[in-house]
Amino acid sequence: MSTTQDDTFEASDSAGTALRLRGVRKVYPVAGEEVVALDHADLEVAADEIVALVGPSGSGKTTLCSIAGGLLTTTAGDVVVGGEDISGYSPKELTRFRQDKVGFVFQSVNLVPFLTARENLLVVDELGPRTGSAARTRADQLLDELGLADRARNLPAQLSGGQRQRVAIGRALMNDPDLVLFDEPTSALDTHLGEQVMELIRREMKDRGTAAVVVTHDDRMTHYCDRVVHIVDGRISA
Amino acid sequence: MKIALRELRRRPARFVTATVILTLVAVLVMFLGGLLDGLVRGATGALRAQDADVIVYSDTARSTFARSRVEADTRAAVEAVPGVARTGGIGLVQLGARVPGNGPRELAATALFGYELAPTRVPEPPAPGEVYADDVLRADGIEVGMEILLGPARSPVTVIGFVSDVSYSGQGSLWAEPGTWRDVVGANRPDVELPDDAFQALVVQADDGVDVQRLAEEIDDATGTTESLTTAEAIEEIPGVRAQRSTFNQIIGVTIAIAGVVVALFFALLTVERLSLYGVLKALGARSSTLFAGLVAQAVVVTAVASAVAGGLALLIDALIGPGSIPLDISGSRVLTSAALLLVAAVVGCAFSLRRVLRVDPAAAIGTGS
Amino acid sequence: MFLALKEMRRAWVRFVLLIAAIGLLVFLILFQQGLQSGLLTSFVGAIRNQSAPVLVYSVDGQRVLQGSVITPDLEQIVRATPDIAEIGYIGQGTFTVTADGEPADATIIGYEREGVGSPRDLTAGRLAEQPGEAVASEADAEDGFDVGDTVVVEPGGLELTVVGLAPDAQLSVTPTLFVGYDTYLAAVAARNPGGGDPLPNALAVVPDEGTTPAAAVAAINAGSDDLDALTRAQAADRSPGVAQVRQSFQIIFLLYGLVVPLVTGLFFLIVTIQKAGALTLLRAIGAPAGRLVSALLVQVVIIVGLGLVLGTALYYPLTSFGATSLSLRFDVGVVLVWSALLMALGLASSLIAARRVLAIDPVVAATGAGAGR
Repeated sequence: MSTTQDDTFEASDSAGTALRLRGVRKVYPVAGEEVVALDHADLEVAADEIVALVGPSGSGKTTLCSIAGGLLTTTAGDVVVGGEDISGYSPKELTRFRQDKVGFVFQSVNLVPFLTARENLLVVDELGPRTGSAARTRADQLLDELGLADRARNLPAQLSGGQRQRVAIGRALMNDPDLVLFDEPTSALDTHLGEQVMELIRREMKDRGTAAVVVTHDDRMTHYCDRVVHIVDGRISA
Repeated sequence: MKIALRELRRRPARFVTATVILTLVAVLVMFLGGLLDGLVRGATGALRAQDADVIVYSDTARSTFARSRVEADTRAAVEAVPGVARTGGIGLVQLGARVPGNGPRELAATALFGYELAPTRVPEPPAPGEVYADDVLRADGIEVGMEILLGPARSPVTVIGFVSDVSYSGQGSLWAEPGTWRDVVGANRPDVELPDDAFQALVVQADDGVDVQRLAEEIDDATGTTESLTTAEAIEEIPGVRAQRSTFNQIIGVTIAIAGVVVALFFALLTVERLSLYGVLKALGARSSTLFAGLVAQAVVVTAVASAVAGGLALLIDALIGPGSIPLDISGSRVLTSAALLLVAAVVGCAFSLRRVLRVDPAAAIGTGS
Repeated sequence: MFLALKEMRRAWVRFVLLIAAIGLLVFLILFQQGLQSGLLTSFVGAIRNQSAPVLVYSVDGQRVLQGSVITPDLEQIVRATPDIAEIGYIGQGTFTVTADGEPADATIIGYEREGVGSPRDLTAGRLAEQPGEAVASEADAEDGFDVGDTVVVEPGGLELTVVGLAPDAQLSVTPTLFVGYDTYLAAVAARNPGGGDPLPNALAVVPDEGTTPAAAVAAINAGSDDLDALTRAQAADRSPGVAQVRQSFQIIFLLYGLVVPLVTGLFFLIVTIQKAGALTLLRAIGAPAGRLVSALLVQVVIIVGLGLVLGTALYYPLTSFGATSLSLRFDVGVVLVWSALLMALGLASSLIAARRVLAIDPVVAATGAGAGR
């Protein structure tokens, strides 16, 4: 077996899969009993796929998202993101992983209230690679693409809900992640605005070839995703 | 307003911070005030007790007993001034007292007064060889009936009773008839000995309805060699009193300003936390003035509680610190005055949050959350 | 740094208020520190800065020159004490004088020879050599006690000419004049003609080479229960009132010192709790916990630092103008010590907030607005 073959094999593997969850289990002890939030979850997301994760409240979709994003460790199972196996990572390693490989758009508290839109994008670079002007150029580009060039110097309080959402998306893309996790991105928006945001998400992800998992319970929005995965009581059904 | 007070009752924890710090600041203010009061009390007791309207010193004395002398002829001139009802001679000598039962180097610091006209808290002059003692001297082991020895000459005097609040320049006083005083001076301080009909100063009682300020000037005009002061002025002239008062009051003033800034700071933080609540209330029809009044009410309650706790602590400190170590006199009125000043500072401090409260837009409260 | 500075710029009102509070506290601490030093120097400076290593009072004097009298027999006992090189009389009195045309109080201290009760250092001029000459306390130079000025003792009219100035040489907060013993006797006589020559108030003693002042003190005190010998430092520290002043100020400094870390620590704790959401978000997107803590500490250092600068800046002018009757000195050493202490206390107090920051679990960002989703 030549080296070239191995490289090709591994390269295509990591180029192929942004997220691979295998046999992931998450169990919480609650008042002496065990609550199973995730039960043998398997999920694969290709490098440029957008997957909708749909399920009722309490189904475990947030837990799954948190595990995929390196915010939570598993009780059992493997988690590989962008070719990196984070299953046994320490909190410090997870922190660095989140800096490098993942982008988040949360439902609540997405932006730092005392930073302008531009500064909210730059904070990622400040905390991590510190590329300085390269980051500033990228931030301005992203803001432009997101239609927020004239809002760069506004504080979150001065932006509408939709605009804040877009800034959050910009921030999630700043570190060129392998995977972006969206948690209910349209739940606080009306249909029209929601569709705009989903279009934006789809466009940005596809243009960059970035994978995304979109947690949603909104059926109107699932058609923007390549595939829908259902989750009920901690179990995934295709 | 009611909502504000209810918040205080239901969520006391968020006001704990400001209360704790304000309590500490209030204790400081009361402690400093008590220190000032104690120092001034200990310095001025003997003069405050005088039942007199004017004190007459010689004009080179710079209003101190020790450097003053008033001869018999000067006294006669003073008595001849219209408006003067009575005069009494008064003299002072500061000596260490040997108290039975104390060690050979443990002397009690005393100020022996020879007097003719009895001050308000002191009986008429006792018999020769007897003295009334300031009750602060109890801390030095002095008791009624005891014979104590004054000065290097060990002049004996017998304590026949105690009187209170008659200290002079921080020392406990002894009150004797003039002859006893002269004997003690002659034996111990021959350099300040005075002839039998001279005193260091005179205390003057004025006729009813006389303007004492004018009387003091007239006495000086009549004698040409005296400096007369009203009793209130004489008290201010006691060395150190004026300087202590101004210095302490400046420090107390700045400390109260600090309390105001603390209130401003912590209530500004609280206001930011409650902006959405204020928005909702305004949307429901509350006026800015009502909301601000609620804020002020909270600040007042917090400061009042802090002052009450501080008052208790201050009085406790006062009780624990024995007489003789630090001259502390924390009175109820000092506690109340301090509390009042702190309340004013607190209300002023609230003004910092006024603009924020005014600017809250009720429309923003109705809509999507953060 | 980025986060620390941005936050302060956006929410500047609260930070300015905190700086103001700390600044005022620092100002008061420095002011009272200056007051304490000034008081002590003004009360017993003359004692501390006269040249005799040992002073002998009579016990009756209670460590105050004015009340102390050395009778001939006590003098004999001291002269009979071994290992003593020199003994000189010290006389002291408080007089009314005319200085610069105005009546004033002055303390006159008479000593017999240089080195035995004379001022230790001079900042101008020389010691008195002739009768009628005096060295004045430097603090009073501007009030008519400068070199070349004439001070007149009242009553009696005895004239004294100032020929030198000594630093920190006041006694009982009054202008002090160091004169030859004969001049002192003349002043007493001028004020109270017909009174006899006073006995000396104290004896200034120089021990032999090889004998420590402490040993000399012990030897003299052993001679009689009526003698109260003290080293120069003891004489200053045990003057009545000095201990009281020190004690009172201890308590004051303690209380003020406590307010600074309390205000700082609680402020940063509240602010940290208030921005918990933003902090959790930052942790979630990959900010190392250490970064967030150092951002906090950077803010503490900047705030306390600015407070120290403000407080010092408020205090400095007082030392030039003399807002009180005491002259306050700007002592760089004292300012530095307090600055270091308050900065350390401020940082220590912010550790509670730091712990809060470290306790943040980033997963809360995802699960934040509702449990069990």
